[in-house]
Amino acid sequence: MNPTGSLCANNWARSSSLVPPGNGLQTNLSLDPSSFFGVGIETPFKEINQPSPTQCVIPGESKKDVKITDQETSKLQDWDPSAMLNNLSFLEEKIHQLQDVVHMIVNKKFQPFEQPRELVTQEQQLITADLTSIIVQLISTAGTSSGIQPQNNCENKLFDHSIQNDVPNKCEMEQNHNMEEHEHKDEEDMEEGENLPPGSYEILQLEKEEILAPHTHFCTICGKGFKRDANLRMHMRGHGDEYKTPAALAKPHKETGSEPKLIKRYSCPYGGCKRNKDHKKFQPLKTILCVKNHYKRTHCDKSYTCSRCHTKKFSVIADLKTHEKHCGKDKWLCSCGTTFSRKDKLFGHIALFQGHTPAIPLEENKGLAEPPDRCDAKENSTMVGSMNFCFGSNPSSENGIDNMMDVKGNIDDPINYFSSLNFEGCNFGAFNEFSQPPFEDSDSSFSFLMSGSFNYAPKSGGESCSDNL
Amino acid sequence: MLSESVFCLLTEDLLIRILDRVNSDRKSLRLVCKEFHRVESTTRKTIRILRIEFLLGLLQKYCNIESLDLSVCPRIDDGAVSVLLSHGSVNWTRRIKRLVLSRATGLGYVGLEMLIRACPLLEAVDVSHCCGYGDREASALSCAVRLKELNMDKCLGVTDIGLAKIAVGCSKLESLSLKWCLEISDLGIDLLSKKCLELKFLDVSYLKVTSESLRSIASLLKLEVFIMVGCYLVDDVGLRFLEKGCPLLKAIDVSRCNCVSPSGLLSVISGHEGLEQMDARYCLSELSAPLINGLKNLNHLNIIRINGVRVSDFILQIIGTNCKSLVELGLSKCIGVTNMGIMQVVSGCGNLKTLDLTCCRSITDVAISTIANSCPNLACLKLESCDMVTEVGLYQLGLSCLMLEELDLTDCSGVNDIALKYISRCSELVRLKLGLCTNISDIGLAHIACNCTKLTELDLYRCVRIGDDGLAALATGCNKLTMLNLSYCNRMTDTGLKCISNLGELSDLELRAIPNITSIGIKAVAINCKRLANLDLKHCEKINDSGFWALAFYAQNLLQINMSYCNVSDHVLCLLMSNLKRLQDAKLVHLTNVTVQGLELALRSCCGRIKKVKLQSSLRFSISSEILETFNARGCKIRWD
Repeated sequence: MNPTGSLCANNWARSSSLVPPGNGLQTNLSLDPSSFFGVGIETPFKEINQPSPTQCVIPGESKKDVKITDQETSKLQDWDPSAMLNNLSFLEEKIHQLQDVVHMIVNKKFQPFEQPRELVTQEQQLITADLTSIIVQLISTAGTSSGIQPQNNCENKLFDHSIQNDVPNKCEMEQNHNMEEHEHKDEEDMEEGENLPPGSYEILQLEKEEILAPHTHFCTICGKGFKRDANLRMHMRGHGDEYKTPAALAKPHKETGSEPKLIKRYSCPYGGCKRNKDHKKFQPLKTILCVKNHYKRTHCDKSYTCSRCHTKKFSVIADLKTHEKHCGKDKWLCSCGTTFSRKDKLFGHIALFQGHTPAIPLEENKGLAEPPDRCDAKENSTMVGSMNFCFGSNPSSENGIDNMMDVKGNIDDPINYFSSLNFEGCNFGAFNEFSQPPFEDSDSSFSFLMSGSFNYAPKSGGESCSDNL
Repeated sequence: MLSESVFCLLTEDLLIRILDRVNSDRKSLRLVCKEFHRVESTTRKTIRILRIEFLLGLLQKYCNIESLDLSVCPRIDDGAVSVLLSHGSVNWTRRIKRLVLSRATGLGYVGLEMLIRACPLLEAVDVSHCCGYGDREASALSCAVRLKELNMDKCLGVTDIGLAKIAVGCSKLESLSLKWCLEISDLGIDLLSKKCLELKFLDVSYLKVTSESLRSIASLLKLEVFIMVGCYLVDDVGLRFLEKGCPLLKAIDVSRCNCVSPSGLLSVISGHEGLEQMDARYCLSELSAPLINGLKNLNHLNIIRINGVRVSDFILQIIGTNCKSLVELGLSKCIGVTNMGIMQVVSGCGNLKTLDLTCCRSITDVAISTIANSCPNLACLKLESCDMVTEVGLYQLGLSCLMLEELDLTDCSGVNDIALKYISRCSELVRLKLGLCTNISDIGLAHIACNCTKLTELDLYRCVRIGDDGLAALATGCNKLTMLNLSYCNRMTDTGLKCISNLGELSDLELRAIPNITSIGIKAVAINCKRLANLDLKHCEKINDSGFWALAFYAQNLLQINMSYCNVSDHVLCLLMSNLKRLQDAKLVHLTNVTVQGLELALRSCCGRIKKVKLQSSLRFSISSEILETFNARGCKIRWD
């Protein structure tokens, strides 16, 4: 064995150095004794095929498996021991096969010549792949007997996913946007009442600095934040060996799934907020992203201004992007500051609310007239904001329609109505000036709304309302 | 002096009572004495400004006016308004209820808003024919919260947005005219119907609205008059909405609505038996049997105009027997109007005051005699192009219809001097149209002149046999004439024109293509006819610079002038255009003696106040664009011929 082996190696070396390599290679291949090389090649081939056979060649069994598990999810009581036995014997067989292969490799290692690198790594990969498939089988078999079936299933799926889904470096914006939409839904669900009994979940409260940090992924152990989940996973390895397993590195969801259930919910650090854990009617936030978006939208300055209309402001950049997508189209503007993409929507709005009128766009005007108007708009937007606090039933709703609804109740109140008239009367004096900003009346209607909201607060007597005002 | 002391003794309220009784001519009354002048000044409610230079003084003098008419006052712009409002203590705006700003094209939204905000009691505004007005102006109008009446005819730029502004701002609106506001659509009308629930009068003529608008309008519970001339997108579906809606509807006008059929109209009729006025001109080709049956129920119908419809004797009989209270019947250009039909309709409708038989060519003297006998109250009869009408029929008219005020005999070749003699018995005649009656001469005109002394409008277009003698008679007899058309009466000369210059009230004079008149005649007119406002001298080629010079100096009230094809020089044109401070409309086509530079200079000199100019299209690119831009900016419209 040895001489041939060394000869062979020499041959290899020579063939690579010699000028006619094609010939040499051929002869080498033909000369190669099947004794060791054959095994070296054949077993891997078998092994390569094997993982799929375990799922496909023995379809009867594995499919039955799946079926059973499916049934199991509905009826956990039905446990089939014979099927279990089948599975176990199959696994035993597989383990034996694997054992043989490893033996072979071990034997080879004691041989004095070196194997080509590729072959070694190939074998290694095949073995790990086989092992994982065995583990999966084992777990699924275990699942048939105990109640953790759903998670198993889920794991399987996720496992496959993690292989395909190598955390592509997506555009952050898009991701954010999607998440945000998701979050909106979450919050809505919450409104309906998630009704978690108070003790059933763990309340986490991130600090303001943490929330405003530019990270989206946080270590659950030390709280360090990361921009990318992959980086977080790398970080997690430092917290212990359990995070070093390939499975743990492959997908982050596994650990939460396998952990015993204590649902995590989040509290907003802003005192007095309904999302703060000290609030009487505390409504927790579901995810960290919810916390971040909620905090920015509700308790932070709106620092992102739309580059098109220069009036709408946002605190969450994804909101700005969403708005900017439609901004050009929202050319139908009401005096209350609400914009509409369609004229009929605007007219429906105006028909509904007393005192609202369409605002005439300023484009045709000279630049001089613009600044004061911008001020108006600013005033208006902050106003809408304050109303959000006021009627805080849904702080996330950006367009003030719901709020307007509340205001309308006031307008019916004759006092408020007259107050707006009075305001117009006050304005009257200023009209001697020749150059008049053309938007005078929309201005008055803003203040008109303002008066409505001011009157509202004391009447309703909401605790948080008066605080915010 | 004596009389002054007499009036000094009377208290002010007695003087006011006296003035109230004397309601004829307050202007001359003012000149009687100081007391009268003072009382007249304090009691005057309406004022119509002709020249801006007097505006401020007049407004200070008449501090109690309720209606201000600036429609014929040129150079009303934002600057003028700000001056008016900033001048000392502004008193005059406090009581203003009505503002007439029709054709005030120089006024922008800034000035308009200042004006409207300054008048807290404002109830009526007329901004009709301000073609450049748009949403901003509408927004300014919406500041008038007490507004009840608004006329926005031909404010071409007003869209739904502007209408929405007004609908929200002026919710007490009772009367609104949106004729030719072409940008307004269903959305705007819908909002209007939701916000202005007090509307009694609504005119949406020529708008591109559909039946959906009528669905909205049907919800207006107080609507009495609804006019939708030329709404070609509205069909029967829309009219069916009206059947159930607008319970107080009294008048509907669906003229020129091409998609409306008799069944649609029937649904309106069946929903509103109290209908008083129905206009369906040029929208139906025929009246269906059900519609005719429907007409039977309209016992309160006063006015029916079905111009252009094919009618039959039966239909006219139905109208005659059922619509007893009919006051006005319009059958202009109707096909199938016969003597029999007319006899049947007038025999039932004895109260008829207005009858329009324009182009009903088959009617003869028999019909006219029956009309005359049946309708003693007839005030207006239109017989244009009724060729078969002769002196026989008109004899009866002159005998019976002594209330007749308006008679249109245009293009009735059967009318001769004898006919005019019979007609002249209608001494109440105010408007008489004899255009194209080529058989009338000075003799006939003299009959009219002698007896019809109340005549204010006379049309003698192409009455080629009329000469100076007839005009001489006219000038002595009909000295209240304000409108006179002598175009193409090519026999008349300066002598006739001199006679006409004695008509002190004359404001409109058309002298188109009269070859024999010269500067001498025009000079007489310019000097004597102080009220002359509209003058047409097109193709009067013998008038030279001296005639136009006289106009430039004497005809200070001239508002419109047509001097196309006239022989005027650069110099005099400039003089005329700069000197006539009221001039607002000039037609200056084919002035062979005028150079481009001269025209430019003339245009510059009137730039601030003129509102409309007609120029030769070949000059479009030779006139400096700067002038054209300035004109445009000042709200002046240039028409290129």
